[in-house]
Amino acid sequence: MARIPTTELGRYLLLGQINRQGCLRRRPFQLATATSIGQLRRVSSSVGAPTSSVPTSPTTAPLRKQLKDQAKLLKASGHKKKKNVDNQTVPGWELTVGIEIHAQLNTSRKLFSAAATSFNDSPNSHVAPFDLAIPGSQPIFQPETLIPAVRAALALNCEIQHTSRFDRKHYFHWDQPAGYQITQFYEPFARNGYIELMSRDGIAAQDGQGIRVGIQQVQLEQDTAKTTAQPDGVQWLDFNRVGVPLIEIITRPEIHHPATAAALVRKVQVLLNSVDACVSGMETGGLRADVNVSVRRTDDATAGLGTRTEIKNLSSFKAVEDAIIAERDRQIAVLEAGGVIAGETRGWSLGSTETRRLRGKEGEVDYRYMPDPDLGPVVIDPKLVEYLASSSGVRPDDETDELIHKHGLTAKDAISLLMLDNGARVQYFYNVLDALDARLGNASCETIVGQPASTLAANWCLHELGKLTEVSSDLDMTPDGECRIRSADLAAILYHLMRKEITAKVARELLWSVYREDISRGGVTDAIAAGDLWFHELSEAEYTALADTVLRGEEKIVAEFTRHAEGKSKQYPQGKLMFLVGKVMRAGPEQRMDPASVERTLKARIDQVCVPGVQTQG
Amino acid sequence: MMAAPIISSCAGCTRSSRLLSLSHRLSHLQQRRQSQLSPSAILSKPTWSVRSLLDSPSSSQDADTPKITSAQLHHLLRLSALPPPSSPVEEASMIKTLQSQLHFVRAIQQVDTTDVKPLSSIRDETAAGLEEMTIGLDQLKDALEAEEIRGHCRRPRRKRDVPVDTAGVEDWDALAGASEKAGKYFIVRSAKGMEDVS
Repeated sequence: MARIPTTELGRYLLLGQINRQGCLRRRPFQLATATSIGQLRRVSSSVGAPTSSVPTSPTTAPLRKQLKDQAKLLKASGHKKKKNVDNQTVPGWELTVGIEIHAQLNTSRKLFSAAATSFNDSPNSHVAPFDLAIPGSQPIFQPETLIPAVRAALALNCEIQHTSRFDRKHYFHWDQPAGYQITQFYEPFARNGYIELMSRDGIAAQDGQGIRVGIQQVQLEQDTAKTTAQPDGVQWLDFNRVGVPLIEIITRPEIHHPATAAALVRKVQVLLNSVDACVSGMETGGLRADVNVSVRRTDDATAGLGTRTEIKNLSSFKAVEDAIIAERDRQIAVLEAGGVIAGETRGWSLGSTETRRLRGKEGEVDYRYMPDPDLGPVVIDPKLVEYLASSSGVRPDDETDELIHKHGLTAKDAISLLMLDNGARVQYFYNVLDALDARLGNASCETIVGQPASTLAANWCLHELGKLTEVSSDLDMTPDGECRIRSADLAAILYHLMRKEITAKVARELLWSVYREDISRGGVTDAIAAGDLWFHELSEAEYTALADTVLRGEEKIVAEFTRHAEGKSKQYPQGKLMFLVGKVMRAGPEQRMDPASVERTLKARIDQVCVPGVQTQG
Repeated sequence: MMAAPIISSCAGCTRSSRLLSLSHRLSHLQQRRQSQLSPSAILSKPTWSVRSLLDSPSSSQDADTPKITSAQLHHLLRLSALPPPSSPVEEASMIKTLQSQLHFVRAIQQVDTTDVKPLSSIRDETAAGLEEMTIGLDQLKDALEAEEIRGHCRRPRRKRDVPVDTAGVEDWDALAGASEKAGKYFIVRSAKGMEDVS
């Protein structure tokens, strides 16, 4: 049914009027009466008040009620989009999602020919005869492609199979010269893995603290050519990408919420990056995800999973979540209306509200998988697997745990630090922390500044560095963890800050000067000395004197503290205390005062002197 | 039967002797039996002929074998990128040929292959052959040397500046065989709606 305009709805509900345009019935009585009365008037001079069959508009309803009713109408008839966070489940229905991820492997040569892999090189410059399926050319398996492939499978906790074989997947397309893709359908090289997702990875709240999603298999396969569409149905083909090794990661259908699916794809990218297995991320096309979605009613546990549809062309993590939600809603709508879900392939584009059909059942391709007779089995030595497992470095989860438990960061800060600048920012943090620890030596300054060196360094690397520039790439962070601000210089600033030799305000100004290269490398301490920026703190007595001066004029506020001390108000008047702190800071030499010390002194004075003073008076 | 000590020649060989011993006779008996089992004897008479599957194509097939429909034929032709039949007569003849080919296939499928793994290729399956095929640390020595350990977490990173020797692989004119090209690109002309097939 077409959407009814709100004005019409409003007029009907509030005024009882219906638009009679197009009605088959005769025109209502009052119009005929009006015309006849009019005619009567012309004929005779008797005047009769025309009877109206339209009820009089309710003059008694107040304006506020009318506005409220109209707002309710607007909400009911308009499209109010639910936020993804609130849209993870639909009562009465269970969603099941399986994901297939294709990642381009980081190798120097292709999978079945010795041609080099490349990115944006001159078109058709890295093409071997086999890549173009020139008759008579044979595939030659390049063993070095196993290094990133096996590391990726190990990062996903898979069992590496001793022997695996290649199969042909037949379909015709211009971006695949041979007419088939060489993949590993029957005997993949890795099986039965799993990924652990935790709440800090951004899974749906309904999945609790963590969820383990099984990986069915990981297989090696070839990539296709790059097509550039030109006008009039012309396609330009660049075969540099044909035959580049991909791994396809197939998960088990154990995901039940859209946010978890997006978190899984994100985590897979992080894992592949950590073992240097993938070339680039989802945004640049190095990682592609295809999602299989099905729904079934929750009260029908005996029935199997519903018919699944596949969504392709997902190019970002948010698209994964949005597309799954849209497809789930579409499938529920179809099933509730009594229809049947067709097992088809659908697509999604940025900004859509619904998936669109790409290919139906009649266009379904039968791939006729067949073992490739030109290639021998891939036999992997267990010693090689052992070596690759041991040389993969620290796992991302372990690194995050170390940041949280050893260095004291919050989970949110740890994840942010790891994500920024492609992992370079956390290297910078480690460099700064090392330099800072070296300077501090055995002395622990934690009690002075109130937090350990690691959390201070993390706060500065995350937040203060971020405040310097609009775009984080302006910092010129190298993968080894150095940027325009040398880690040694930042460590020097933080060292002085930790020993309370400079205030936080001065420290920030120093950071800005270092960034603008007003201070030379290694010249932080000299700059402080030259500008006489040392923090000469006021003594305890001077603080107390200032506190007393301010408190003398603030009887009313002291009364609040007295009331709290006597138990008449439940909460300590912290806001009033900070107001007093501000007053004291303004009263004295600000560059010589530390707000924390002022607060401490004020509190002490109030509790020990002023409150008892008032109590003895009153 | 024991031979009498008379001069006779042996049927199986050209020896003539006064004594055709039992053992000599027995050996010829064995030879005759073996010649009946010899490869040439076995192969001289066929036990089965392909014609047995061609004879009566309509009668034996009508019973319970499913017919190939026109829709199935068109689907198969589309999968194989073959042109559709140009006339109903050609379509009927294609279907007839396909049905008899499937009759052959069904005959082959009668063979009991439980627990028999299909042969995908003939390769050296000896222990030595398997060892030769195994990919281990030795085979990947060069590739493993082309990576370095970086960062606080000691992670492996492939060195990007190592030159890749592609002599004999990339040094040929890939575009020479193209009927149409645009600069360094191959050109393909597509029909509408053909962009997304896979």
